[in-house]
Amino acid sequence: MSEPVVHVRDLRKTFDVPEREAGLRHAAKGLVRRTKREVKAVDGISFDVAPGEIVGFLGPNGAGKTTTLKMLSGLLYVTSGEARVLGHVPSKRERDYLRRMALIMGNRNQLQWDLPALDSFELNRSIYRVPRLQFTETRDELIELLDVEDLVRKPVRQLSLGERMKVEIIGSLLHRPQVVFLDEPTIGLDVTMQKRLREFVAAYRQRHEATIMLTSHYMADVEALCERVIVIHHGRILFDGDLAALSETVAAWKTIGVALENGSVGDLSAYGEVIHSDGDLVTLRVPKAETARVTARLLAEQDVLDLNVEDPPIEDVIELVFAREAPE
Amino acid sequence: MSTVHASLPEAGRVRSWIDFYLTSMRTQISSQFQYRAAAYMYLLGMVAEPVIYLVVWTTIAEDSGGTVGGLTTGELAAYYIVWTFVRNMNLVFTPFGWEWRIRDGELSGWLLRPLHPIHYDIAGFAGSKIPWLLFYLPIGVVLTLLFDPTFDVRAAEIAVFAVAIWGAYLIRSFNQGALGLVCFWTTRVSALFSLYIMVELLLSGRLVPMTLMPEWVQTLAWFLPFQWTFFFPIETLVGDYSNTELLRGLGMQVFWILAGIAIFSLVWRHAVRHYTAVNN
Amino acid sequence: MQTLRVALLHLRVGVMTDLQYRVNFALQVLQSLLALATGLVVFSLVYSHTTELNGWSQNELLVVLGVQIVMGGVIRAVVQPNMMRFTEEVRDGKLDHALTKPVDAQMLVSVRQVEVWQAVDLLTGAGVIVVALVRLGGDLGPLDVLGFVTALVVGAVLLYCFWMLLATLAFWIVNMWHLPELFEGVFQTGRWPIGIYPPWLRFSVTFLVPIAFAVTVPAEALTSRLDWETLALAIGFACVFFAFTRWFWRFGLSRYSGASA
Repeated sequence: MSEPVVHVRDLRKTFDVPEREAGLRHAAKGLVRRTKREVKAVDGISFDVAPGEIVGFLGPNGAGKTTTLKMLSGLLYVTSGEARVLGHVPSKRERDYLRRMALIMGNRNQLQWDLPALDSFELNRSIYRVPRLQFTETRDELIELLDVEDLVRKPVRQLSLGERMKVEIIGSLLHRPQVVFLDEPTIGLDVTMQKRLREFVAAYRQRHEATIMLTSHYMADVEALCERVIVIHHGRILFDGDLAALSETVAAWKTIGVALENGSVGDLSAYGEVIHSDGDLVTLRVPKAETARVTARLLAEQDVLDLNVEDPPIEDVIELVFAREAPE
Repeated sequence: MSTVHASLPEAGRVRSWIDFYLTSMRTQISSQFQYRAAAYMYLLGMVAEPVIYLVVWTTIAEDSGGTVGGLTTGELAAYYIVWTFVRNMNLVFTPFGWEWRIRDGELSGWLLRPLHPIHYDIAGFAGSKIPWLLFYLPIGVVLTLLFDPTFDVRAAEIAVFAVAIWGAYLIRSFNQGALGLVCFWTTRVSALFSLYIMVELLLSGRLVPMTLMPEWVQTLAWFLPFQWTFFFPIETLVGDYSNTELLRGLGMQVFWILAGIAIFSLVWRHAVRHYTAVNN
Repeated sequence: MQTLRVALLHLRVGVMTDLQYRVNFALQVLQSLLALATGLVVFSLVYSHTTELNGWSQNELLVVLGVQIVMGGVIRAVVQPNMMRFTEEVRDGKLDHALTKPVDAQMLVSVRQVEVWQAVDLLTGAGVIVVALVRLGGDLGPLDVLGFVTALVVGAVLLYCFWMLLATLAFWIVNMWHLPELFEGVFQTGRWPIGIYPPWLRFSVTFLVPIAFAVTVPAEALTSRLDWETLALAIGFACVFFAFTRWFWRFGLSRYSGASA
């Protein structure tokens, strides 16, 4: 029986947020006595992650995903409950732990601005105490995987946003961490870059048998990479299991956004469930299997100006699927 | 226990630490050479302060028959010229640097790494001093030609000077580092820093050689770290210390370095605790 | 005048923005007083070793200190913020916003930014001058005061021109970051009688960095040392300097616009 890489039991994180209402009178009162409100960012979650697993943490903004990752990486200390990664308590920030994990967040600038990325890599090598031979191997492999050979000799400030992100990721993985936390890795990237990044994560995990936890509010990220999904909302876990099982429920629907030519044309409910109607913009929800047929009908029978077919946003999925389990 | 998770091979701790310092210094050196025009402007501008002091005290000396506080104009010139050298050496990472570091989110990155950021600050600035010293040489020569200092140095004094300038550097690094950590609790560290600089100006020998200060100030300064960052290093070269006094001074520097480290570590623990409560 | 109105509008917006940050005000007062205290301590130390510095008594030198503080406040409140913002915009390629407005670019670039709280030094400096004058006891005639005010205005114009010239260099030199710090260092020369400086330094802080005209000359007016030839020289120099600054600005601007076309 192998020990879990990540072990979380009844983890909680509460923030005290000062409350302030608008208006001069309240501002004056606020000087004397500050009312505080307790925000439960993470409200008792438990899970284990086995070595080599790749787990997706899915949920809308403010669900508690980033807070959980920050607790697991030691950036936030825990309010109550247990969290252990690789046998260490993350908030102790032991050196041995930090050398074996990585937290990758979007648009973080850790590399030296004025110097070529290669120089910054050397700094990381000595910070993480990576033996020279292993360092060169890992570095060259990562450069090849992300195809940035000609970029690493240029000063980082001369790189575009997408290029910079790639070299930043390399910098974060030079020490071959056994656990990698990815926080919203594809946010703000164009479709091609998103795909490249997903491929990269999959390749990295395969080559180095790393355990990976990634958070996202895009279903596509999770679908592409994770076998196991944890759905989190309001700081609580709503679902923890196979991606396939979730896919069936979620992928069961598509939303179609339609803009019509000549203003509002009455009732489109014959085509599907109308979830939103705003003058000449209507949003329909249809079962996945029917999407093609309904779209064809709409295009044929209505004066369509614009038509969008999308996955339902994660908030809707949660509402639909877990409405009965959502806390009040 | 993490026995299941095999450890990767690792380079030795001390070797990696030295490696880090050398690498950081190297990157800073190349960076300074890249921006040498700006570095030069800065070094030149820094000379204004001691030149003003020198001219003022020389004027007073000349009006008072050639000496003031027992110092001749030649000795004053020597003091302030060595001052410029020592000043280069004791430039450190300022509390403003900490303010920006926290504001830009760079701090979270450091908390994820198994090395304390202070190593980066100390190594980086230490590295910068090498190109600065090179840039400084012509400035030093010109100042010597303009102000005609009188020097009387022994070999032992030079040796101690070479060590004392680094002692001054470390004392100031940890002092200002601890000040910088105040940024964890407030975004307005500038007032506190101004107070620090004011006290340092008067009690460190930065404004005048301590011997020109009233007696009670000199006594007070003995119990504070400031004079070990300016006055002592300068005096090792310019003054007339016996070997015992030189060694005692180095000993005091060591004391203040250790005190600085102790205070810094203490504040750091609390600062991280504070930061990781909310981490924004 | 359209340009003036736009300028004042910018100023008003700047002031209103700054006024929101009341903590900054308290902090600025604190820093101003700290700096003043330091200056006074240094003075008392100097005058503990002598009674006169180049013919200036302690109270007379206090007048100089007061003027220097006032001028410093003017620079940090209205000149420096504009100049630094301008150099940053050139560096980041964002200058075109300013250039496409239907007002004179130099005027716009010079007045749109303000750091209200630095103006605290105007009060501090004025306070020092008043105290010093009281202690000096002598009577000032209306001519002295007129001379003082004229010298102040001329001095401010000269300092602005100096900064404008330096800032215009941003069209060619990218890294202007240390400028405020460097200026502060050289500006400290204004606290002492320029007669004590060796000739090369005296020349530099008179004609290269117009500190003597900005600080010493107004102080001379208040301590009855000013002869009207010096004042005439100051006015003349200011006119020439201003014209040169204007010319240099247009030169730099034409190069810049031509280059980035």
